[in-house]
Amino acid sequence: MITLGHYLVVSGMLFALGLAGVIARRNILIVYMCLEMMLSAANLALVGFSRFHLVNGLPDYTAQSLVFFTITVAAAEVAVGLAIIVALFRTKQSVDAESVTKLQG
Amino acid sequence: MSVFTIEAGLALLGLVLLLVEAFKPDISRRTLGLTAIAGTALAFVLLLVVRHDTASLPSFMQPWHQLDTLALFYKGFALVITLLVLWLTLECAPYLTRFTVDGKLAEMFSLPLIVCSGMMWMASARDLVTVFVALELVTVSFYVLVAFARKSALSLEAGVKYLILGALSTGILVYGIAWIYGATGTMSFEGIAKALANPATSKPTALFGAALILCGLGFKVAAAPFHMWVPDVYQGAPTPVTAFLSVGSKAAGFVVLTRALDAFLATGSVISTEIQAFLLVIGSLTVLLGSLPAMFQTSVKRLLAYSSISHAGYLLLALACRETARFDLSSGGIVAFYLATYLPMTVLGFLGLGLMRANGLGEDIKDFTGLAKRNPTLALFMTVSFASLAGLPLTAGFIGKLFVFLGLADHGYWGALSCAVIAAAAGFYYYFKTILAMYTTEGVETTALTISTASKAVAGVLAVIILILGVYPKPLQKVLTSGEAAAVAK
Repeated sequence: MITLGHYLVVSGMLFALGLAGVIARRNILIVYMCLEMMLSAANLALVGFSRFHLVNGLPDYTAQSLVFFTITVAAAEVAVGLAIIVALFRTKQSVDAESVTKLQG
Repeated sequence: MSVFTIEAGLALLGLVLLLVEAFKPDISRRTLGLTAIAGTALAFVLLLVVRHDTASLPSFMQPWHQLDTLALFYKGFALVITLLVLWLTLECAPYLTRFTVDGKLAEMFSLPLIVCSGMMWMASARDLVTVFVALELVTVSFYVLVAFARKSALSLEAGVKYLILGALSTGILVYGIAWIYGATGTMSFEGIAKALANPATSKPTALFGAALILCGLGFKVAAAPFHMWVPDVYQGAPTPVTAFLSVGSKAAGFVVLTRALDAFLATGSVISTEIQAFLLVIGSLTVLLGSLPAMFQTSVKRLLAYSSISHAGYLLLALACRETARFDLSSGGIVAFYLATYLPMTVLGFLGLGLMRANGLGEDIKDFTGLAKRNPTLALFMTVSFASLAGLPLTAGFIGKLFVFLGLADHGYWGALSCAVIAAAAGFYYYFKTILAMYTTEGVETTALTISTASKAVAGVLAVIILILGVYPKPLQKVLTSGEAAAVAK
């Protein structure tokens, strides 16, 4: 039997992996992928909580509606984000985090 | 007609401007800019005249949209800052177009309108889903705005940094929302407050979710230790966008924080002690980490970025002081008051920077040397702005800080108060260092700087507002109290 705990553990692992990737990786594209993974982790947790929070015998749909919003917003974020990363690649010929260290004070 | 039609109308105007620019490429940027400005001004007038109580909304919207005093105040605030930013963009246009593709500025006029409608929506949010969507509307538009001067490597770099850290904070925020939902079984702020007051609610789950939400929002308002992006992004972004980020984005973050904390710290909440302590620690850290590094900055734009961090710290400390009856303002009211004083002084500072830039000067403190000789009017306005940011008595900044300090003293938060005092003292040092540079007379260039009459008029109005609020803050205080008294009566 799969319980709420299982969902939360998997989602926690996804979130931790994503966070670790954001902190440790130097390639901006990979970092961006890890960020998307964090959003997926949140979605999984939301669906899990929703499934196990029954209202009149049915799952509570508030959290699931947020999942759809998250997916849509993530798509918009990817569109804008990739455009910015492509623009960066055009100027610097690199998507390494080392290439964005000009701003310092 | 209700208030939400204004928001929808603004977003629509933004989209229309975008299309017009795409299909009529020969349209002048002045026409576009002035249309956007006229639209925002019209929206502000409409906001004052239309019915604004929650009952005027369609009933299906009422569960997630509210129109209380705070919401209306922040809606007006969003419109004013958008108006100023659009105007500043138009003023800086000849300089900005050197760094944009084809020398065009189209999105610079349509995106702020969409950001504004997102900020207005957020001010009314009643549940976490609405907050999330409105916050993302603002953030994603800001990604584009920050990286707008694409030919400038600095702007692009700032854009990438803002993108990564903004997306990170979004991830943390949504994950926090999931856990708060798990603990309370609801997304609405009222529901969360009610569930948290129930002792049966799982405390660790709620605490974990609330802490994650506060971290996510901490990124947006530039609270330490999530403030690393601020100096870089502020420095690299085009100056009008920096002003927008520093005032608009911060205010939007704080209205959400106010609402969220009203729920988390509601009477009897199981997590109120921990969240309260968390706020005090974060607030104290933020004022110090904003003010102390600012003392060593050579770029005025970076200096203003650090100052913006330390102001976020004062605002967080104001939020930590609940039930401050001393000024007839709740903690949310004090935050709103502080932000209202913060708007004119910050915009005036960035306006000065933008005008310097338009005259071909840099943004370092040494570029300000002898400004009083080259353009006494501009130097005077900058002095008013910086003195108010430092919190000199008789300026608006002083009253805001006074409220925060007295609130902290009333609650006996002496540790946080001493941090705030140290930060304010450091503030006096770095702001007055810049002012002194402006009034140096030795060995400086004396070629005069020219600024347009319109700039002078706007800067003059902002400076006068700063001084009036500094001497006579009662009217503003009254605007923010009236609704709260009504809320209590309900």
